[in-house]
Amino acid sequence: MAKKRQATKRSTSARRPKRSARSAMSVATNARKTVKERVAALAEVPVAVCESDENLQAVLKVLRDKDEPVNVRLAALKSLQTASFSVVAFESCRGDYIGTLREVAEDSDPEIRQRVLGILAREKDGYAQKKLLEGLQHPEKALVPAEKALQLLSYDVHADAYPIARSIVSKPPNAAARREALRLLAADASAAPVFEKILRDKDELAEIRQISASALQALKPEKLRAHAREMLLDTSEYDDIQVTSLTALTQFGGEAVAKDEALMKRVDRLRGKASTKVKQSARRFLDKYGR
Amino acid sequence: MMQSVANMSGMSEPQFAALVDALAANPDQREQLTDLLRENQPLYDQRGAATIVRMRGWVLLALVRAGLADSALLFVLEELDTGVDPYLIAAAARALRSYPNPSPAFAPFVTRALTNIRYRDEPVSFENYGEYAVSSAGTSPVRELLATLTWLGPHAHGILHEIESLRGGISKKLLIDLDRAVEAIRSGEQVDAPDASVTCCTLPSGLSSTSSWGIGSRCGCEPIESTVFEDHDGAEITFDKFFKGHPSIVVFFYTRCDNPLKCSLTVTKLANIQKLLEARGLADQINTAAITYDPAFDLPERLRGYGQNRGVRLDARHRMLRTIDGLDRLRGHFNLGVNFIESLVNRHRIEAYVLDADGRIAACFERIHWDEQQVVNRAIEMLKEKSGETKSETSPEPADGGLAAECGECHHQPSRPTKS
Amino acid sequence: MNVELQINNSISPTARFVSWAPSPCRIRMTNPSGATSPSVNVRIAGSSAAAGGAVVFRRNTTGAFSNSLTVPVPITGTSVPFFVAGRFGRPSINNEDVRIEARAGTTLVGSVRVMVRIRKNANTLTAAERDRFVAAFAQLNNQGAGRFADFRDMHTQVSSPQAHGAAGFLPWHRAYILDLERELQAIDPSVSLPYWRFDQPAPNIFTREFLGVSDTIGTVQFSSNNPLQFWRTDGVQGINRQPFFSTGGAPPGLFTEAQTLALGNQYRAFRDMEFNPHGDAHTSFDGSISGIPTAAKDPLFFLLHCNVDRLWAKWQRQLGRFNPAQAASYDSSPGNPIGHNLPDTMWPWNGITGSPRPPTAPGGAMAASPCVSAPGPQPQVRDSLDYQGSVNSVSRLGFDYDDVRFA
Repeated sequence: MAKKRQATKRSTSARRPKRSARSAMSVATNARKTVKERVAALAEVPVAVCESDENLQAVLKVLRDKDEPVNVRLAALKSLQTASFSVVAFESCRGDYIGTLREVAEDSDPEIRQRVLGILAREKDGYAQKKLLEGLQHPEKALVPAEKALQLLSYDVHADAYPIARSIVSKPPNAAARREALRLLAADASAAPVFEKILRDKDELAEIRQISASALQALKPEKLRAHAREMLLDTSEYDDIQVTSLTALTQFGGEAVAKDEALMKRVDRLRGKASTKVKQSARRFLDKYGR
Repeated sequence: MMQSVANMSGMSEPQFAALVDALAANPDQREQLTDLLRENQPLYDQRGAATIVRMRGWVLLALVRAGLADSALLFVLEELDTGVDPYLIAAAARALRSYPNPSPAFAPFVTRALTNIRYRDEPVSFENYGEYAVSSAGTSPVRELLATLTWLGPHAHGILHEIESLRGGISKKLLIDLDRAVEAIRSGEQVDAPDASVTCCTLPSGLSSTSSWGIGSRCGCEPIESTVFEDHDGAEITFDKFFKGHPSIVVFFYTRCDNPLKCSLTVTKLANIQKLLEARGLADQINTAAITYDPAFDLPERLRGYGQNRGVRLDARHRMLRTIDGLDRLRGHFNLGVNFIESLVNRHRIEAYVLDADGRIAACFERIHWDEQQVVNRAIEMLKEKSGETKSETSPEPADGGLAAECGECHHQPSRPTKS
Repeated sequence: MNVELQINNSISPTARFVSWAPSPCRIRMTNPSGATSPSVNVRIAGSSAAAGGAVVFRRNTTGAFSNSLTVPVPITGTSVPFFVAGRFGRPSINNEDVRIEARAGTTLVGSVRVMVRIRKNANTLTAAERDRFVAAFAQLNNQGAGRFADFRDMHTQVSSPQAHGAAGFLPWHRAYILDLERELQAIDPSVSLPYWRFDQPAPNIFTREFLGVSDTIGTVQFSSNNPLQFWRTDGVQGINRQPFFSTGGAPPGLFTEAQTLALGNQYRAFRDMEFNPHGDAHTSFDGSISGIPTAAKDPLFFLLHCNVDRLWAKWQRQLGRFNPAQAASYDSSPGNPIGHNLPDTMWPWNGITGSPRPPTAPGGAMAASPCVSAPGPQPQVRDSLDYQGSVNSVSRLGFDYDDVRFA
């Protein structure tokens, strides 16, 4: 039975010279080695992690150990992440890996917290989502900045983040948080009116208006087409938003756009007179519609 | 108590946990635990998906203490069959062990859950409500499933080979549980189904994932006749225009469902149903429809893409639909197993329906694996009914009448979707 | 007098794409007027646009290539076979920038325009190549409603055992990116999938005009004229990607190309590259690309895997590892899981669902190509190996890399 187990493992893992893996593990876990040496060694151990529980536990221990240098701990984390790509070989490791990630999600080091919560959030882990939401609702408990929490919660539309995102849009702690809240709300069908308003507000940053255009394209495409048309006809509108409008209509416009002579005339004028970016986008638009 | 549960839709999670504990402790009220597992339970309204997981998991764990009755068994098997959340799978595996009688019929559900979760095993905690395991001590879905196999013992003999195949990848500490399960399966005599004509996958009698209504007992569809839909092309059509005049097969789904064993598979199976209908020359006589739970987000282009990507035929008789208005009426009429947080689905069951030529619900297939051929057969019966013919030849169904779960003996491989 | 030229044995313009591996062609007389003998010697040669692709020819399945070829073409209309290939080092930069001309004496009697369509280093694409690729990719995504959703759904945690951690890792991903590339080519046939050469600096990839610039928290930003600004997966807008390195340089710690190619002469040693450089390239970022469940949400994923595939192709060319029958070409260990053995069909293209395969098979069969017949709608693992048709010309998959020759 043990031989069969070993044979199966061999078929799904690497064939490194054992000394090399053992040596790398030895350096990786040796507190007397320099950070640089240990980081380099940890980069070599993903295979070894998959091959033996002892190696896995040793690397997990490094990750958990708050007394280890942060860079060494981050290297241990990266090593585990790399190993996790080899899903079949990593099967026996995953339970302990996830358990350890949750353990260090509230670590004192902000980078470790952020990286670990990121990994868990991408797994749609309920524990991570709970912590991120708590941090948004009670900033004193926040483990990562609000904008990062919103970004991580956006991996799961079911993460119940819409209410907090709406409240952050209306009362943002900072600009980045507002932006991420808007990105998250771009999956909320009821948020279309918010995006319409932002899209037409010339006082908003171009980036925010761009997010709104993209959101509206997904939630209410006919509204975006209408607004894009109006913004192109508006000679006082900024170049960036006109380019976004042209790009949207080029990619997603249809028959209605093709038949819009007033719009075609306007875009034709843009091709001749406007900034390079606008001209280029105008040309693409007209090419798409055979003009 | 039932009435007071229904009125407690705004209760906090700690209150909910206390309620569940109280119900589990009172033998006269244990049946109400089953009611708490229904997706459309008002308590789940406006709750996030992660909250639903915590709540349902606690109910499943309460069943362990209260004992798993037949009424709740289907929910437990459903979680094993199509669940993807580690906490719920682990809780369901544990709950199954409190059923009074192990049965060979349960084994395929357990192996299916193992297949679904083995590469996503993670520690779970059952100590306190809503607790997450923050170390690898304790239990996990794979551990619980192996324990359930040990409980099944010789009843799981049919899937021994599949269990042995876990040996290559499982972690060292779970090998002990695996060995224990294998030993239990091998010990004693293999338990076969009592009736040779019934497959090993037959569920305990009285337990069904299918409901049927005879012609005299079907509810009229007047409440939803005027419901307006928009289809994958943006064309509008009312319920009565599309569903009356021909039998129909209807499934519910939404494009943002992140459980591939639910909506994605359901719509893929709808495509298979369409192929079965085409093969029998019935595609112009029996309509098919996939209706989204998420009409605000699932706009026509999204519907079209989702259907096409799964090989669904799209034309006047075969549509992907969203309601323009009237989702609530539809929900009530079909008694849909779904709940929402704002407009987003927080949890739903698998559900497929056969409507008769008057648009009335004639059959419902819910929760666990439904067979495309069985659904088609029911729809053909409706066609015969419409034309006044007696029930005549239909294609063979699975031997157990379609109440089966999958196993090695009666595995059904749907035909391949092809790219458009 | 007129002749008809068939590229890839087809008169369809959709088949007029060649790579370094020879494409079977035919020439036949369609109008013999002026002919004074039973056959006419026709000289076939390429004519390239400035900086465009160039082609070479040979008469038979073996032998040297030359810049031109003279073939006797019967006036009866019987077709005469020959082969054309891109001249190594001279890929096209635009569609139809090479003309294949047939002359009888000095008279032009037939011509077709072709493209030497090659997978290139994404860092050195022209602006036009980049923009065409990005536009096609954005259209495939179609703000989440397009065919790209299938490719996203093929690469998830549920399906990952089909493609990772065992011998079939490289063949599966070769088929995966080939399928995607063919879908892109259905939108714009001039597009091929470029590769991110992750062991070298690639600053031109991480720009607003291409795959975006990451801000301090890893939200990727695009120029207002980049259609990837509308990118959406799983119903969610945008891309999350935060490099742990300066994108003016290369990620540290990755095996170089030379180190990767030196992993071993046997496939079972070479496929260690799944860890380094492949896994390390993924984890050189925070964000979607850094984990299996979400990696395919980021378009960069496909350029990363194109480079993984290029490294495999280079290793194959270096050691002649194209033949599935050769033990060193593949790892046929007895413990390989389903989908990782040479004769296994690969999910999802085989359409097989239910344990031990995933529950659904998104995307259906492998996309067909007008240029080649391989690998067929349901490829086996073995079909990924002989991608240039070195062992069997019918096995040619229709792609090549700018720095991996044919023979």
